[in-house]
Amino acid sequence: MKKAREPVYLDSQDTWPAEKLRRLQFRKLKRMLGHAYQNLPFYRRRFEASHFHPDSVKSLQDLLRVPIFTKRDLLREIKEKGSFSVGTETFDGGERAVLCMTSGTLGTSFLYWPTKWRSIRGGSLARAYWWGGLRSGMRMLMAAPAWHSLAVQETEVVQKIGATCVIPWGTFLPRFSGNFLDTMIEVRPDFVSIFLPMFYALLAECRRRKMSLARAFQGVKYILVGGAPMTPRTREKLKEETGVVDIFEGLGNPEGLTAMECSFHRGHHIFLDCCHVEIVDPQTHEPLPAGKRGTVVITSLIPYGSVYIRYDTEDLGEILPERCSCGRTWPLLEVYDRQANIVRVAGKELVPYDARLCVDEVPELIGIPFAVIREERATAYLRLLIQKPPTGELDPIGTQLRDRVQERLQIEVRVDWTEELPERWKGVAVIEEKDWGAPHV
Amino acid sequence: MTLEELVAEKIRSGDPYSLRCAKGRLPLVVFQLEYDTETALYVALDRDDLKHYAEALRRCWSLLGLKRGDRVAIFDYGTSPVSYLASSLFTPYLKQGAADLLGCLPICNDGVSHMARRAVDILRLVRPRVFFIRNDCLQPFTAEVEREGLRLSDYTLFLVAVENESLLSKTEQGAFERKLGVPVYRLLRMDAAMFLAMECPECRLLHSWQDLYLVESVAERIEEQVDNEKEHRLVITNRFARTCPTLRYLSQIKGSLEPAGCPRGPKEYRIAT
Repeated sequence: MKKAREPVYLDSQDTWPAEKLRRLQFRKLKRMLGHAYQNLPFYRRRFEASHFHPDSVKSLQDLLRVPIFTKRDLLREIKEKGSFSVGTETFDGGERAVLCMTSGTLGTSFLYWPTKWRSIRGGSLARAYWWGGLRSGMRMLMAAPAWHSLAVQETEVVQKIGATCVIPWGTFLPRFSGNFLDTMIEVRPDFVSIFLPMFYALLAECRRRKMSLARAFQGVKYILVGGAPMTPRTREKLKEETGVVDIFEGLGNPEGLTAMECSFHRGHHIFLDCCHVEIVDPQTHEPLPAGKRGTVVITSLIPYGSVYIRYDTEDLGEILPERCSCGRTWPLLEVYDRQANIVRVAGKELVPYDARLCVDEVPELIGIPFAVIREERATAYLRLLIQKPPTGELDPIGTQLRDRVQERLQIEVRVDWTEELPERWKGVAVIEEKDWGAPHV
Repeated sequence: MTLEELVAEKIRSGDPYSLRCAKGRLPLVVFQLEYDTETALYVALDRDDLKHYAEALRRCWSLLGLKRGDRVAIFDYGTSPVSYLASSLFTPYLKQGAADLLGCLPICNDGVSHMARRAVDILRLVRPRVFFIRNDCLQPFTAEVEREGLRLSDYTLFLVAVENESLLSKTEQGAFERKLGVPVYRLLRMDAAMFLAMECPECRLLHSWQDLYLVESVAERIEEQVDNEKEHRLVITNRFARTCPTLRYLSQIKGSLEPAGCPRGPKEYRIAT
């Protein structure tokens, strides 16, 4: 079917020829490296230790000589200095700014965001929301609370596009899903920006209230989800049930990455105006070609606030080899999960997304929360903990799921059914066996 | 106007703003409010509303002595006005938040009690001059501070306990001060009226501002204006809210109006609770 032509965002940068984009990125990267060397002690030290000088950079390829760093490196600096400030950020005492945080199992690190950063990053993100259908005069439900780095960017998006912002009370934990649903049905936003685990919690709240999704999402035209990948089957089903025009998936992290689907949903276009993305081998750090899964390493191209140059996000992803039919030239990225969520089963490395693809092939389980239980020793079977679906007999559903997993992954699966999954910060992905205990059905 | 009336009006009309959104005003930001009522309540704000509301928070901060270069921590939900009015980076259409107006650097920690550990990280690594904290997070925060064996006064000057239409009792306040070894002041929010009042470190009464609010203390029967020296329910008229005007909002808070005259704000309202 022929697709309607998409409205064009403010400028045509996302359709520039590859060579022109490379030149743009190179210019920005040179500026960034110079800024880091001159002003940021964290990088100066690392550059000097690896005999790297920004003046020696002649092409994007030369970036490979800059050492990669991880959150552990940042946390070590924080611990040594006893301060949130570790020399990755430029402070301008006269400029309005905020401190944000990244959470995680390893610990808390801090991000310094001044208005100049917000203006550039949020201005860039506005393009993503524009692709997602947000327009002037629309009401946008904003799920990220003020303290979140995404909220700092979304404030710019909302202002730039000229939307009205609607904010439910609380935060994006499942227990606040009632507030989200009330806001949806009472204020009737046109556009919903939400983290995927919270979106699922919202759907569960609809089921609890016996409210159809069509009624809950009446008036909503577009949904933009982030925070975790959604399978194509889930998208299609939820699009149909909610009655929205489209559901988009955004990818990103506060350190620099923005990537967003267009209406063709073939992957996430990397926002080359603000970040440079590499996929590298997790062990050797050698660059991997398009089509190979590896660790996502990002370099922010915004020389304000906290700066991340060759930062190992510890996400598992790949740059897709094909070009998108939408005509945009920004390459496509797919991120599957955290490296830490890899589960080794029957000699294969799997992430929860692989299991999600199978789970979503069983109609009763589409969008149903689940987790992978990681056993202490490598096993020959995949063990899943799945919230009981509201309809259907568990035995035949379990059989269907076993067949789908066998077909797709060629492994055996064991299923534990549960009334409810434990509340987690970013949804449930992998639960260690010792935290869950002995199998129980 | 009472909370119950706002609820009843909303249920009757189906209007999220309980029919108090002014015609011709364009709401730019809509907040669901923190009330445990039968139905959710909302306020809508435009640029001017946000500007004046943030000015109220700025005055709370100034009363505490916050100034350029200070770092301020907030352990509350991002949807609390204490958080979202802190910075223009937190809220769209807010030109300057309290931190922007004073030149401070704010940091927010989500107001769920299990984030107490991260709140202690902020304390140790950011060393905020003032630490705003939700009343219901005080206990877990205190436990975490004790677990880590920290002396709070090494990291911050004082805490400010915050709640919507509720105040820490004097007994609780004293107990936390003894336990934590730093002063604990109180900030009163009344979100339905977009009202803020701050306990003054000098006179220990709540200060508020006559150009932003009209504050009355009235008996249970609202029409009966009483002697201001007695403690009765506070009634708030918001002088700046244009999108969702608030006229004579009868709050849940009991207090009495004391004569002005504190050296930290000679003309400001002073409320004893």
